[in-house]
Amino acid sequence: MSEEHHGHLQLQYHPALPMSNGKTFMWLFLSTEIMFFAALIGTYIVLRFGAPAWPTPHEVHLSEPIGAVNTFILILSSVTIVLSLEGARANRAGLAKLFLLATLVLGSIFLLIKAYEYQAKFSHGIYPRKPRSLIYERPTLAYASDVRQRLTQITANLTAKDTRSAAEQEQLEVATILLAHAAEVERLAAKSEDNPAGILALNQLAEMIAPAGHGAASSHAGGGHHSSQEAAGEGAAGGEAAGEEAPGETGGLDQLLQGADQGLNDKYHWLKLPIVIPGGNMWASTYFLLTGFHALHVLVGLIAFAIMLSMQLDIRRAPHIENIGLYWHFVDLVWIFLFPLLYLF
Amino acid sequence: MAHSSEATVGHGDTPHEHHQHGSIGTYMAVFVALCVLTGASFFTYSPLWPFSDHVAWAFMMAVSCTKAMLVILFFMHLKYEANWKYVLTVPATFMSIFLVLMLVPDVGLRMRRASEERLRYMAVPQVTDTPAGQQAAPHPDGH
Repeated sequence: MSEEHHGHLQLQYHPALPMSNGKTFMWLFLSTEIMFFAALIGTYIVLRFGAPAWPTPHEVHLSEPIGAVNTFILILSSVTIVLSLEGARANRAGLAKLFLLATLVLGSIFLLIKAYEYQAKFSHGIYPRKPRSLIYERPTLAYASDVRQRLTQITANLTAKDTRSAAEQEQLEVATILLAHAAEVERLAAKSEDNPAGILALNQLAEMIAPAGHGAASSHAGGGHHSSQEAAGEGAAGGEAAGEEAPGETGGLDQLLQGADQGLNDKYHWLKLPIVIPGGNMWASTYFLLTGFHALHVLVGLIAFAIMLSMQLDIRRAPHIENIGLYWHFVDLVWIFLFPLLYLF
Repeated sequence: MAHSSEATVGHGDTPHEHHQHGSIGTYMAVFVALCVLTGASFFTYSPLWPFSDHVAWAFMMAVSCTKAMLVILFFMHLKYEANWKYVLTVPATFMSIFLVLMLVPDVGLRMRRASEERLRYMAVPQVTDTPAGQQAAPHPDGH
């Protein structure tokens, strides 16, 4: 280098890094993004492994195959964007645009699947809410009380109506039977804090409304796919036992539990009773925060792709495709960590 | 894809001249590797996984890090970049690791010295038909 010129160094003035300003700033931005997502993922890991209980994927209606499909879609979209860049570098605008469009479509599919997954959580009452969510950490007296209050509200609303449709009449009958049972459970549990009959009744009430994943502990050895069905079977058994527990309402309650293998909340969607998922609240907070921020990043990428699609993607646009591609690969990178952490652990 | 084979030959023969590019062949190899690795981490979820949960976590994290390195090195072209790459990535990585470590005492170990009240209302690992507490879950870490 400068060794030939002893005495007076002929240094060339380099105004910046050996790359375009756009790329420099994209990388700077990405390094802040690394820390942003590292904070989110790191906090999740620490919260999760310090938690006294954490729900299994089945308890929170998380489907591993769907997650795996989404992973594949993002990886594929990473390939298409890199092929789009190669197309632009070869000055083949049509090819570049085709692959960019493919990336846009794949990203949209990812978001659609994500929306479908969110819907599955929302429909089961798994989401943060004010003043408190429907999720209880354990079946306590407060839980039974909340169930009773919800049922009281339902029956009161239905009774207040002057004319009831056939469906509403049936709802009223169901809610009345359940209300009597919930009140009985609450009475049992309220006797003293640790009486076994009360604790048993509380657990059975929770099982009736939404069965927990009993197969969770052995799901690894026994096959995770079947655990939800096993849990449902045991849940139904628990429900029948609960019917015996509350004399007087046995007949009506037994009838309600027919075909409620997935819990009463699943059989009667309008019930929306509080549910017991140990660790479910922290799970919901972290899941929606992590996947929500990731989905926002996907959305921003899609908007950028849509804007780029309106341009002539020849070799002059290659640097821009490279920058947006770097961003997109990073979004893929985050999902690579989120998938096993959220779905498979 | 005629274009891709051209590009493969063009860049593959002279990797040093086109040091900013990976070839199409490289991208495809990385893509296949990523798919295989995704399958490998999904395998820990299948009933055929022969080892314990702890081994599964370590395995999945190792697989994820490998996938991340593949994406960064080849798709993001970091393998072909100059030394500035270390300035950006190494500090960010260290800060990420330190962040997690610094959260461990206060957040990760928060239940070690929890108050009586907190313990009373905290989640129990499983809802069971038997009275709570009798059947403590063998795996608090679940799946």
